[in-house]
Amino acid sequence: MRDARRTRPILIILLLVAVALITLDFRDGGSSPAHTLGADVFGPVERVAGDVASPFIGFFHAVGSNDSAEIAALQRQNDQLRAELAQSQVSKADEAQLGKLLRLSGKDGYRVVTASVIAAGGDYADTVTINAGTRDGIAPNETVLNGDGLVGTVTAATATTATVQLATDAAATVGVRTADTGQIGALTGTGQTMAGSDDLQLRLFSSTAVLRPGEELVTFGSVGGRPYVPGVPVGQVLTVTSQPGSLTQTALVKPFADFTGLGVVGVVISR
Amino acid sequence: MTPVRKVIRVAAAPLFLVLAVVGQLVVINRAPLPGGGAPDLVLLVVTALAVTSGPMAGTLAGFAGGLALDIAPPGGHLAGEYALIFCLVGYACGRIMTAVEETTGERPAATALTVMAVGAAVGEAGKAALGRMVSDPSVTGQAIRHVLPGAVVYDVLLCAFVLWLVSAAVRRPAPERAPRPEFAQAYGVAAAFRLASAGAAPRLRLAGSTPPPVRPPARAEPKLRLSGVRSPALSRTHAASSLAQPALPGGRAVKLNFAGSGRGNPLDGASALPPGRSPGRGWLRAQPPRPAAATAPRRTSPPKGWLRADRLMAASAPPRTSPGKGWLRPARTASAASSWRPKSPSRGWLRPARPAPAPRRASPRRGWLRPARPPKGNWYTRGPSGRWLRRGRRPWRSPRLLLSQLVGGRR
Repeated sequence: MRDARRTRPILIILLLVAVALITLDFRDGGSSPAHTLGADVFGPVERVAGDVASPFIGFFHAVGSNDSAEIAALQRQNDQLRAELAQSQVSKADEAQLGKLLRLSGKDGYRVVTASVIAAGGDYADTVTINAGTRDGIAPNETVLNGDGLVGTVTAATATTATVQLATDAAATVGVRTADTGQIGALTGTGQTMAGSDDLQLRLFSSTAVLRPGEELVTFGSVGGRPYVPGVPVGQVLTVTSQPGSLTQTALVKPFADFTGLGVVGVVISR
Repeated sequence: MTPVRKVIRVAAAPLFLVLAVVGQLVVINRAPLPGGGAPDLVLLVVTALAVTSGPMAGTLAGFAGGLALDIAPPGGHLAGEYALIFCLVGYACGRIMTAVEETTGERPAATALTVMAVGAAVGEAGKAALGRMVSDPSVTGQAIRHVLPGAVVYDVLLCAFVLWLVSAAVRRPAPERAPRPEFAQAYGVAAAFRLASAGAAPRLRLAGSTPPPVRPPARAEPKLRLSGVRSPALSRTHAASSLAQPALPGGRAVKLNFAGSGRGNPLDGASALPPGRSPGRGWLRAQPPRPAAATAPRRTSPPKGWLRADRLMAASAPPRTSPGKGWLRPARTASAASSWRPKSPSRGWLRPARPAPAPRRASPRRGWLRPARPPKGNWYTRGPSGRWLRRGRRPWRSPRLLLSQLVGGRR
């Protein structure tokens, strides 16, 4: 109990400090110097740990996914050494992602810096850390994409790491247009990427526009290509819901990118 | 404790926290776990540290670990959120565990696990609640419903493993253990002395050694002897009886003082002597066993009767309650033996066996907000582990005591 009595003033002081930190961060919109300090301190550690852990993570994803081709490939190579097998699987997956990414970026004429995901946020956060930073030319508010489509945007960058806010984050809003009709709308995340359901919510701006399931969406683009460059494929309309009392149509959109299994991503560098 | 062990203990908490933060961000959050949520390694390490090392360690570890999780790169929430929650959870877990130990004297692993699991669940709920309070757009009711059950289940499943890891690293010597005996061989030496003394001094033991269990003395029947028996064993009695009649100047024989023998002696009542006759020598008589508390011989005056010493005799010799030497007297009874009190050699090397007093706890000082009440009625027993355990005088009040210790700073 003596320990408890000595602890109480310290507890109160620490609680006050925590409340002060929350207040400061809330005022700065989640980008207070504390985050910069944390990125400087933990960034290198995460880089090393991410490099060490990525084969295992890739192995998990390769095993956990229901892709029959991957399972068949695993079974075909089951005679070889298991470690070699997992390693080659990961390398192959990365190579395929990289190749698709290069094709995509080459098609649209972007200059893309490639990086790989090394860490992810907690249960309620849809953010990841990539192992490239300002040293590679990455700055905040730059578009991050995948071989499949849009991933998100850079929110903070240190020398060696950068933080990416995924498009599925509840705080992210992406301007999109339908590839066929050119109707514009806003896409917001539902914040459940890590929960497995990474559907996005689309709200069209025009009240007369008609949405059909299966329509593809691309980014509308922002001024100066920040935070989103135009023309990046985003997803496909899954279901259209028209709520009574609502002027415009809303729809659930299935994104092209697999947010739960992010590996290699590219950051579009503004020229 | 070896130096290596000490280094491990000191470095274990920060090492565990850093490992938990990095593992959480790099591995756990990226792994495709089924069921919605993911375990929070940092929260588990914080609760395990609090449970094993007390509220201070829990508070500090909670703040440090939570802040690290807040500001480490992917972030996603405001800096200080998890520090606030983990700090509170660490303090509460340590406090509850300390209170349980203070009340019951034990810290069973099952209780530690329960406290840890409840702490982890409360921490997960607190994270969600604080996210709602600061209007984090990611923390919606739907997201909480989806994430929270899975996260709590994962945490509870991982509790035992993390607790085992942490307690193996930061295990401390058992607190409030009874002081070690100064001589390890004290028992053997004391036994040798006991054999050598052969009952001359009842039970001797070395100072500082723990006492052997005190056996209740065997009850012995008073032994009666006949005074007329001439035997070498009774030579003392015989010699005393020959000296029992000193001659006074004037040729008178001194009357023997039988005072006190007439009362409480069942043999006297049964003898049915006519009044006025003295029981002669050689009669059986016994003395009632001495009362246990009697330390000084009674000096009450003999009752009025015909058998009494005259004034001269009374002045020259102190009146005695016991019959004089040479008379039948009971052997030292068991009650007298048990009422034997040591002279208490305060710091002798050899000291008579006596149950060592239980180690006194440090008297409680003033509480933080209100004065502490002096503890009363505590007694100490030895636990199965050899540790001294404090038991309340009223054991049925222990739940209330626990509650009051949790709520108010009475102790």
